[in-house]
Amino acid sequence: MTDNSDNTPNPFDPASLRLDQSYADTVGVKKLLTTVPVRKPNRQDFVRVHPDLAYRLTPAAIIEVKEDREVYLVTPEMAQALPGEFATVTLFTTINRQGTLHLWPVKLPNPEGRQNEWHRSAAEGAERATKKWVRVTASMSLGAYEIFEASGDLPDPVWPDFSFQEILKIAFRDRIVDRADHPLVQRLQGIV
Amino acid sequence: MAELLTCRCPTDQVGSDAACQAEWGAQDTRRLARQASATLPAADGGRATEGGRPPLDLLPFAEIWAVDFEFGSEPGENPAPVCLVAWELRSGRKVRLWRDEFGSAPPYPTGPTALFVAYYASAEIGCHLGLDWLVPERVLDLYTEFRNRTNGVPTENGSGLLGALAYHGLDGIGTVEKEEMRELVLRGGPWTDAEREAILEYCESDVAALARLLPVMLPSIDLPRALLRGRYMVAAARMERSGVPIDGETLGRLRHHWSDIQDQLIADIDAKYGVFDGRTFKVDRFADWLARNNIPWPRLESGRLDLSDGTFREMARAYPVVAPLRELRAALSEMRLSALPVGRDGRNRTMLSAFRARTGRNQPSNTRFIFGPSVWLRGLIKPPPGYGIAYIDWAQQEFGIAAALSGDPLMMDAYRSGDPYLAFAKQAGAAPADATKATHKAIRDQFKSTVLAVQYGMGADALAQRIGQPPIRARELLRLHRETYRVFWRWSDAAVDRAILNGSLHTVFGWRVGVPAVSNERSLRNFPMQANGAEMLRLACCLGTEWGIEVCAPVHDAVLICAPLERLDAEVARMRQAMAEASRIVLDGFELGTDAHIVRYPDRYMDERGEVMWARVINLINGQLPEAA
Repeated sequence: MTDNSDNTPNPFDPASLRLDQSYADTVGVKKLLTTVPVRKPNRQDFVRVHPDLAYRLTPAAIIEVKEDREVYLVTPEMAQALPGEFATVTLFTTINRQGTLHLWPVKLPNPEGRQNEWHRSAAEGAERATKKWVRVTASMSLGAYEIFEASGDLPDPVWPDFSFQEILKIAFRDRIVDRADHPLVQRLQGIV
Repeated sequence: MAELLTCRCPTDQVGSDAACQAEWGAQDTRRLARQASATLPAADGGRATEGGRPPLDLLPFAEIWAVDFEFGSEPGENPAPVCLVAWELRSGRKVRLWRDEFGSAPPYPTGPTALFVAYYASAEIGCHLGLDWLVPERVLDLYTEFRNRTNGVPTENGSGLLGALAYHGLDGIGTVEKEEMRELVLRGGPWTDAEREAILEYCESDVAALARLLPVMLPSIDLPRALLRGRYMVAAARMERSGVPIDGETLGRLRHHWSDIQDQLIADIDAKYGVFDGRTFKVDRFADWLARNNIPWPRLESGRLDLSDGTFREMARAYPVVAPLRELRAALSEMRLSALPVGRDGRNRTMLSAFRARTGRNQPSNTRFIFGPSVWLRGLIKPPPGYGIAYIDWAQQEFGIAAALSGDPLMMDAYRSGDPYLAFAKQAGAAPADATKATHKAIRDQFKSTVLAVQYGMGADALAQRIGQPPIRARELLRLHRETYRVFWRWSDAAVDRAILNGSLHTVFGWRVGVPAVSNERSLRNFPMQANGAEMLRLACCLGTEWGIEVCAPVHDAVLICAPLERLDAEVARMRQAMAEASRIVLDGFELGTDAHIVRYPDRYMDERGEVMWARVINLINGQLPEAA
């Protein structure tokens, strides 16, 4: 057994005894994204839209089944087979101040280039939300959405580490209309 | 006459080697040998490691001394050593010294090549200090290590030596027998020869217990950091020896009049509330008073009013009208003036109970420590003539620790600003860049409450109550904290995840807390700040005491020091330097600031929270109470 004092632990050099405390770098826990609603922002929510164009889908064909409060994504091939049944929208990746992600569908102008004030104001709100925190509220008297921009110097959102394809897949998990015998197609065609 | 017993056998053979026992027999120590045979560890040291080598062989020390003192201690006085037994665990050398044999130096080396092993070592170190012996440089305290191993999970038999033995499946003497022997020691001398022998045997039984415990515990001990904890036990002994200077005259008058004072206080304060019947607090009357004053008091799950001091403290902040009642209740229920131990030199001394708290903080008895919860009583703290004292604390220590350990740049900026609460308001966009404490007091107060709420793990409802705002505002403030300090929150969430995944959390110096199956997330989340704050304080106390500063007491995130008036300012500067250095070491270079509250004789220390109560009591003594016969 050595009596070499150099080999004995030295409590008088505490800096050399310091243990790491960077839990965030060492703990392998990741928040899972399991639900992505497809809806317009809540009227109380300030939201941001992902500024990267790769995080939006346009044009996208969707069918909103109001009684079930469900939104279906229609593949381009099926869209051709369902004229008049779907809406053409841009799907914006959107996040609120609580960090909740959702897809915001904003209707595009019709083939003639016409767009009502609701859709135009919503599109404007979404574009503004790429740079600022905004809140959009329906105003019946105005016939359009009112857009409120947060005046405080709020920090930018932290976007979850998911690709748009992953987000889209989660949002429309089992609600993609991609075949003629899809139950929604059959329902629309009166074949049940 | 000291009994210096030696044996050439290595410790792990003692008791199993007949030749060894024969050698002891030659020294007329058959009794001791029999005892050793019955109590020393088995040949494998209890648990072989690394290729079958006994754990003690792995310790990088030339000598390993298991040491125990027996000592008497009158309330408030320093320990008076009665006897010492020390075993060197490699050679088997043994020392038994009675108090008239102590001499001027310890009978074992105290340098870095010798390991000093004890159970609750500050007691042994306190005896060293009392004997004016050098203190050991390498202290392994099996108490701190047992606490560290079992912290956060219940132990059936407590954390004392007997509890540690039982935990490890080892035999110890009976609790009753131990108490009887302690009483015999505390009774004081003179002792008969038989009593003296019994005390020495009892002392030796504790050393034998250490010798059995050490090899069993060693495999789970993180030695380098255990020695750092041992270093603190030396500092604790020095602080316990120093004690806190008390105004003995005023204490005497308080004790003399205390019974009358209590009645007067009730009559005086309760006149506004009408909730006491004699000295009894009547809950139904209190409920009526709350109803009359429209105060929504928290209730327990049972539906009864929550009358804990914590609730009174919170409610007193939201409803200041409650504050005098809280102080009165504290004064009546918690203060035991007779229990406050003050030595003949006017110092309040009590065991600091180092590492007793879950966070590793000291946890001295509330009734025996002047810094207990009755803050007004701190007015008794007064430097002796020619001296001054200073209460030095870290500025916003928890916030600084959270900022530095999480690495949140905004939080660190806020700390460095000197006013993290206002900085938080600015960073969250709630106050302009040129806002000051004066121009934006209300906003600052709200953001300060939010920071504290996060530190306490408070929810929106409690914060709303604290700031007198609707819950929606409290939720907004808490959200702003999460959004502003995202890096901190990611780190804090990860700390909780780690605790639950790994079953424990630890500080920068390895103080760990085990996580039971059902754990309190709020407590886990707060652990890194509290427990690393405790590390910081311990390190500062080590530095301060080693630099020769008279540190009277550690107090949560502060120390109280004492110095002659002509050196007071210099000593304050040195202590602040020690605290800055401790913060840099714990926080990997990030330095926390300190504030010093200096009191020079003949002034007394005063906690502002207790000023009103102190003045009320002193007025009662000075003017309204008849002198007791």
